[in-house]
Amino acid sequence: MFFKQFLQIIMKKQNILYYVLIISSLFLMGMSAKAIPRVYIKQFKNGHYQLIVNKKPYVIKGVCYNPIPLGETHSFDWWSSEYKPWITDGKLMKDMGVNTVRFYQPGENPESVKAVMNDLYEQYGIRSVMGHWLGFWEYPCPFYGDQAFQDKVKKEVLEMVNAYKSEPGILMWVLGNENNYSCLNLVHPWSNDEIDKEPDPQKQKNMRARIYYSFVNELAKEIHAIDPNHPVALGNGELIGLEVANEVCREVDLVACIIYRGKTFGNLFNSLKLTFDKPLFLSEFGADCYDAFQKKEDQNMQAFFLESQWRQIYQNLAKSHEGPGNCLGGTMFEWNDEWWKHNEYSPDGWGAHDTESNWSNGSYYFDIKAEKNMNMNEEWFGIVALSSEEKEYGLDKRVPRKAYYVIREFWKKPVLDVKSIRGKKAK
Amino acid sequence: MKKLVLTVMAVCACLSLAFAQEKAADKAAAVKEFVIYSDKGARDNHYVPSGWMGDFGDIKLNDQATDKPYSGTTCLQFIYSAKKTQGQGWAGVYWQNPANNWGTKKGGFDLTGMTKLTFWARGAKGGEVLQKVVVGGIKGTYPDSTSVEFGPIELTDTWKQFTVNVAGKDLSYINGGFGWVATNDLSPEGCTFYLDNIKFEADPTMKPASKKQEAVPFYVYSDRSSANNHFIPSGWMGDYGDLKYDGASKEDPYLGDTCIKILYSGKATQGARWAGIYWQNPANNWGTVDGGFDLSKATKATFWARGAKGGERIEEFKVGGIMGEYSDSDTASIGPVILNKEWTQYTIDLKGKDLSFIIGGFAWATNIDVNPEGAVFYLDELKYE
Repeated sequence: MFFKQFLQIIMKKQNILYYVLIISSLFLMGMSAKAIPRVYIKQFKNGHYQLIVNKKPYVIKGVCYNPIPLGETHSFDWWSSEYKPWITDGKLMKDMGVNTVRFYQPGENPESVKAVMNDLYEQYGIRSVMGHWLGFWEYPCPFYGDQAFQDKVKKEVLEMVNAYKSEPGILMWVLGNENNYSCLNLVHPWSNDEIDKEPDPQKQKNMRARIYYSFVNELAKEIHAIDPNHPVALGNGELIGLEVANEVCREVDLVACIIYRGKTFGNLFNSLKLTFDKPLFLSEFGADCYDAFQKKEDQNMQAFFLESQWRQIYQNLAKSHEGPGNCLGGTMFEWNDEWWKHNEYSPDGWGAHDTESNWSNGSYYFDIKAEKNMNMNEEWFGIVALSSEEKEYGLDKRVPRKAYYVIREFWKKPVLDVKSIRGKKAK
Repeated sequence: MKKLVLTVMAVCACLSLAFAQEKAADKAAAVKEFVIYSDKGARDNHYVPSGWMGDFGDIKLNDQATDKPYSGTTCLQFIYSAKKTQGQGWAGVYWQNPANNWGTKKGGFDLTGMTKLTFWARGAKGGEVLQKVVVGGIKGTYPDSTSVEFGPIELTDTWKQFTVNVAGKDLSYINGGFGWVATNDLSPEGCTFYLDNIKFEADPTMKPASKKQEAVPFYVYSDRSSANNHFIPSGWMGDYGDLKYDGASKEDPYLGDTCIKILYSGKATQGARWAGIYWQNPANNWGTVDGGFDLSKATKATFWARGAKGGERIEEFKVGGIMGEYSDSDTASIGPVILNKEWTQYTIDLKGKDLSFIIGGFAWATNIDVNPEGAVFYLDELKYE
């Protein structure tokens, strides 16, 4: 009898326990309808680095994404566009093999941004690298030496992280882009009283770098505190200044470099290993498809450079036999042409595909003999062109260029030994 | 009938011509030597020393000099006066086929199979320096299939044989069989030198040249006439019209008898508002030519600099960094540097750098914003250590 009563009590308690468990589970499931996959970087004994997403190795095969329609400029809020360009582009991207897009900074409306990220992830499995300019474009210059400026930027960055850290499609954060060039006074020069007192310009440069990288270090530390699930990258133009970052910016998990070196990345991977031993994400690289010398579009030229660049990326991934194994992948610049770029202050030009070159780079040697060696055409970097004549789904029709197909095939079957390709062609 | 005979004759003529050409090409490939000059009027001579370049008025040639030829009865005597008759500061001669062919017509020879070019040379006094000798490199509608440069070379007063390695090079069409260049900098007083027995050889032991690691110290600039100088200050950038370069300044050199004096007017002649100079190898190599040196043994680049007034600001001193089809393997720089009025040594740290392929040996750049009145400054003892 006593035993029977005891069993009944236990059963009741078990039922309660079950109910509690079931309710808790349902609650937790509801909370975690968007399960956050953990993203981290694994370091092997040989010093190689590998990105791990959901416990699996992940090579970033990506594009920089900013789908400004023809006739609009960079301030256009495409995130809220009724035509949802990311749906059309996402399909094309998925077919190509793209698994990641890079945004330079989120749009103004967090709900729109979340919708874009979720659509890309849920419909196409494409993850998002989310960047922040760190006030680089603020007028008159980014006052990194000023505490109030730092506080303002930090607030924005942490708000961004809090807003999107729970989105399942988020892959990592990138702090800054080519902001380090401002430390050299090359663009957006800034200073403070202490720097102004220093007469030696080389020391001034180092002082600015120390201030800037220390600030990024602080941001990385605070991001880690609120979001342990996603790595934080230091955005950097080339490797310039990283010897200072090595001293004061150890908190970042990786470096996101902007590199335009033509056919190869040269000694980039080894140099980084020796300067600032962190994993490398090539957050911006690529080639334009306009031959400024012949004055005509040349899709072969773009495809040639991009394929060669991706080959180098693969040769430097973890477990590679050749390189230092510190590359995690890249996001090439860029998905689509942007017609506003030649002169952002001239609305007449936003709807015209300008062919005047904006800058010079001898590494892109096919058209370096152009007048004044100006061979880089900022409006012709897309691996898909935009049609000014045809609309599709309310958007400027996307026309994939040769690079789209060449890289698609490379990703399907990466051939790293160029000689073997030559041999096959000879046959 | 007459028409038929003419047609047959024409076909035969064409066939025999084609056959003869084929035979000539075969001959070059089959023989073990292909002579450019052995003696005046020798039957096996090929090419003509017709391509006089630069200050061609400074050159005199005696192609039947009997002054102690290396072999046979004659040799070639060149007298370079260094008077800058055409204002170029350099002069040279190309051996071409046919004469005066600057790539405008089809000529040349198929030298496939040859692995080296050899020649004997001596100076009248000893110590004469040729900036370089060349094989191929003529451009134009019918460009040479390769370009090889060798030098600088310093001659002695006795005959010495020199070898240019062309193994592994594409010698299928060579119109510029051989050439030499002398410069006013390296031979300010001019020079007289002799050449003999210039020929290509098929030496199976000759392997394609791989860049050897250069020994340090490796000079970019030591003194005006030094054979140790490497790289040419040919890469004038930005407002190149604002620059004057004197590689033989005697205004208080740091070491030796000369230093480099640079005048930057800051007039923005080309509208760039900045200017600079790259020292390149070969000259004008913006990454288009597989040249340069393997400087892997170096751990630093050093140089001495001073400003005419003191306070001149150079934005950057740099090594490497040229990007092109054949990019420099690395780059390193210092700057901005504010120059002192007294000679001061500066060092660019190269530890950990990949210096296996350097075509841009040294460079500087400055701009009008930091030198509104322009700048005059001096450089000396540019070297890798």
